[in-house]
Amino acid sequence: MITVDNLSLQYNDQTILDQVSFTFVKGQIIGLLGPNGAGKSSVIKVLAGLVFPKSGTLTYNEVLLSSFSELRKYCGYLIESPSFYPYLSAEENLHLIKTINNADVKIDNLLLKVGLKNVKAKKVKHFSTGMKQRLAIAQALLRSPEILILDEPFNGLDPNGFQDLIALLKELNLQGTTIVVSSHLLNELEQFADAFVLMHQGKIALNLTRHELAASKKKVTFTFENELNMQASAMVKSNGGAIKDDNRVILRLHPNEITIIVKSFVDHSCAPINIETHTILQEKYFEIAK
Amino acid sequence: MIRLLNIELYKLFRSPRTYITFGIAVVIMFIINLGLFTDGEELFGFLLQTISDYFYLEGEVINGYLIAYLSLNTLWVHIPILIIIVTAYIFSSEFEYGTIRVLLTQPISRSALLGSKIISMIVFIICFMFIIALFAVVPSVLIFGTGDTIVFIDGIQFILEESFIKRFLAAIGFAVISMIAFASMTMFLALVFRNTLTSILLSFGILILLTLLQTFVFGVFSSWQPFLFTYHTSKWQLFFMNDIPFSSILNSVYFLIVMSGVFIGLSFFRFNKMTISE
Repeated sequence: MITVDNLSLQYNDQTILDQVSFTFVKGQIIGLLGPNGAGKSSVIKVLAGLVFPKSGTLTYNEVLLSSFSELRKYCGYLIESPSFYPYLSAEENLHLIKTINNADVKIDNLLLKVGLKNVKAKKVKHFSTGMKQRLAIAQALLRSPEILILDEPFNGLDPNGFQDLIALLKELNLQGTTIVVSSHLLNELEQFADAFVLMHQGKIALNLTRHELAASKKKVTFTFENELNMQASAMVKSNGGAIKDDNRVILRLHPNEITIIVKSFVDHSCAPINIETHTILQEKYFEIAK
Repeated sequence: MIRLLNIELYKLFRSPRTYITFGIAVVIMFIINLGLFTDGEELFGFLLQTISDYFYLEGEVINGYLIAYLSLNTLWVHIPILIIIVTAYIFSSEFEYGTIRVLLTQPISRSALLGSKIISMIVFIICFMFIIALFAVVPSVLIFGTGDTIVFIDGIQFILEESFIKRFLAAIGFAVISMIAFASMTMFLALVFRNTLTSILLSFGILILLTLLQTFVFGVFSSWQPFLFTYHTSKWQLFFMNDIPFSSILNSVYFLIVMSGVFIGLSFFRFNKMTISE
C-alpha cells in the first residue's frame, strides 16, 4: 500500500500540488485522472524521484520512506513520452536498463509480451509511436516491479494496441502487480480500474473505488421529441429531477432504477428518444474540464 | 557503479558520433601529413635558409618527428572543439532524447550516474588522444623517417631524436589533462542548459575568447594571462624546449586539475539538485 500525505510541490513559486493526500491499495489498478495541467504527471514525477516536493510524506507497506525517490526500488515507470537511445536496437535499449538493475529477466520474453519480438534488432529510431509505447512498457517491466506507474500509456496506440495493453495490464494485475495509470481518457480507465483519483488544479477533486462508483447514483439525461405532458412532468418532480428546455429531463438514479423510470415515461406516453448517462466521476470530470 | 560505467561506455562506443569524431581526428592528421609531404620544402624553405645561414644542418630537417610536433598544434583549437562537441553530446543528449527520465527512475544514485558518465568521458578523451598520438607519429615517421628536430618556441629549440618520443608522450599526457578541463567546463554547461547546441556554442565562445585574449597579450591583458585556462592548456609546448621548465608545467597541471575539480564539483551539485519537470 502506498500512502502519500500532504504532498506539496512548487516550481518557481507556482503551486503545482497543494497538500495532496491519497492511498493506493496494493494489488489494485488505480486510475489517476484529470484534464491537462491537473497535476497527474507531477504526482508521478514526485513518486519517481524526478522532482523534489516542498513537503509531504510517503509510506510504503506501512514503512515511512525517507524520501520519495526511495520508492523507485519497487516501481517500474513509463513517464510521459517513451524515451530511448535512437541509435540502439530495441533489444539493446532494454539490455542497458537490465544491466543497470542486474535484473534476472529474459528480454525476449518481455518483447514477446509486448509484441515486439520480431523487431528486436531494429533500431528504435525506425519505430512508430505505438511501437515505442510498447517498448516503453517492456522497459517498465524489466525489474518485475511490485508497482507499475504509467503516465499516459495509451498515447499513440491504435485500437488493437490499446486493447492489447489493457489485457497486459489486467494480466499483470492478476499476478499481483499494483498498477497506477495516469490518463485523461476517462471512459477507457473506467473499463478496468479498481479505484479512481481525480485531480484538478493540483488537488484531489474526487477519490473513490470502483465499488463506490458502481453504487453511486448516475446523472441520467432523457431527451424527448416533444414537450413533456403533465403526468410525466409530475413523475419527474416526484423523483427529484429537473426539466431543461421543455424536452430534456435530468435525474439522479441508481443503475437499476433507469429501466423502471423509462417504463414510467412510456406508460405516460412519453418515450424518450435518447438516454445519456454519466457516472459521478464523469460528471465531476466534465465539470472541472470546462 | 561498474554496471553504470559499462553501460555508459557501451552507449559511447555504439554512438556513431564517437566514430565520426575519431574519423575527423584521423583526417586532420592525414591532411597535415599530406600538406607537409607535398609542400613541406616550400613551407619551410625560407625558415631553413635562415637557419642554415647560422648552423650546419645534417640530415632531414623536415622529418616525421617535426610533423608529429606540428600535428600537436591542433591542440590549440581543433582538438578542443571536437572534445567539446562529444562532451556536450554525452551529457545533453540524455535530456534531448528524454532518456534521463529513464535513468533517474532506476534505483541508482544520481552521483553514481554522473560519476560513471565522467569516467566514460575521460576514457573517451584518453582514446581520442591515443588516436591523435598514433596518427601524428606513425604515418609521418613512415613517410618522412626520424631525426633530430628543430622547433620554434621562444626561439629555436633543438630536440635530439632519442628524446623526442618521451617529450611527445609527455605532451600528450599533458594534453589529456587539458582536454579533461575543457570537457569538465562543457559538461557543467550541458547540465545547466540541457541542450547540446547551447552548451557547444558557449564552450566555443569561451575557447575562442580566451585564445584571442591570450594571443593578443598586451597592456592590461598580460596580468590576466595566468588566470586564463587556455594559457595553461597551451603549456604542452614546453615539453619541446631544450631545458624543460617542469615547475611551470606543474603549476599549469595544478591549475587545470583544480579547474576541472571545480567544474566537476559544480556539476555534481547541479545534477543532484536538478528537477526533471519537462
